[in-house]
Amino acid sequence: MSSRDYLGEFEHLIVLAVLRLADQAYGVTVRQEIQNRTRREVSIGAVYATLDRLEAKGYVKSCLGDPTPERGGRSKRFFAVTTKGVTAVNRTQRALESMNEGLELAGAIDDCA
Amino acid sequence: MTVHDDRAKPPCIAAWLIVLFASAEDESLLGDLLEEFSELASTSGAAVARRWYWRQALQSTPHLFVNGFRSAPWSTTAVVVAGYLLIKVLFPLPEKALFAVLHRYRVFDRHFNVYVFFATDGAAMAHVLTSMLLGCFVGLTASKREMIAATTLVLVLLGMTGAASVAWVTRGNSSMLWSMLPWNLADWLAMLAGAAIIRSHRLAASTATLGR
Repeated sequence: MSSRDYLGEFEHLIVLAVLRLADQAYGVTVRQEIQNRTRREVSIGAVYATLDRLEAKGYVKSCLGDPTPERGGRSKRFFAVTTKGVTAVNRTQRALESMNEGLELAGAIDDCA
Repeated sequence: MTVHDDRAKPPCIAAWLIVLFASAEDESLLGDLLEEFSELASTSGAAVARRWYWRQALQSTPHLFVNGFRSAPWSTTAVVVAGYLLIKVLFPLPEKALFAVLHRYRVFDRHFNVYVFFATDGAAMAHVLTSMLLGCFVGLTASKREMIAATTLVLVLLGMTGAASVAWVTRGNSSMLWSMLPWNLADWLAMLAGAAIIRSHRLAASTATLGR
């Protein structure tokens, strides 16, 4: 198993957002989902750059919808997580849980201070 | 009081900036930006939506640049190398031509101030024009990735100037740095402007073709 089998922090957030949104996952909804849940401003460029990278790795797949006038005649690009992507999320979650196990984070911060 | 405007349009310069760096594969991204902008303009007002659009444009452009380079790394590198070699060939030419004209007509004898102007600022301005032509060349040879190639070339030159600056400063010749830097900056901006002209012209032409 190589380090490439794990998801980076932002990749992890993106895949989770796509999973939550199911068949409504496209640029706008993915960006808003992450922003609303994490309270951090995310650029649409960063979302697409990460989704393109995930698609190249085979963790997500995409298809184009119909063009609409309110989008200036441009199509929505819908995303879905592949089986390989779900496996990568589970592996990353397990790794994080394993690293967190037995840690008392609040106490550790107080001790340093 | 917040003004809600359903017909608000994204700021032109920010929209232009995004379009300059977006490739054909980024069509959905442009649609997403417009959709969210319209939504925000109708709920929070045009001013808030415009500010949001500007932030998104500035934050997204570096990602578009990196994505554009990754999608065609070898052809972009080839254009950048060709552009760099052309700099070495082209840049001395306007200076030589300018000085040849000045000496031939003996401007120095009759109008000393005019001679000084062309020998200093005139030569530098010729450099800026040459840079713009070079930007046009890079834009013409980099198929649909005009700004990606031109920005890469400018970043390469920026890196080289950075290295040269360190050398000048460590040798105690920082005055050289301050005299060169403004003109280098002007050259790079002219190069980007040249590529932007080609990109805008191509986009306008393709829009006109689609409209027919």
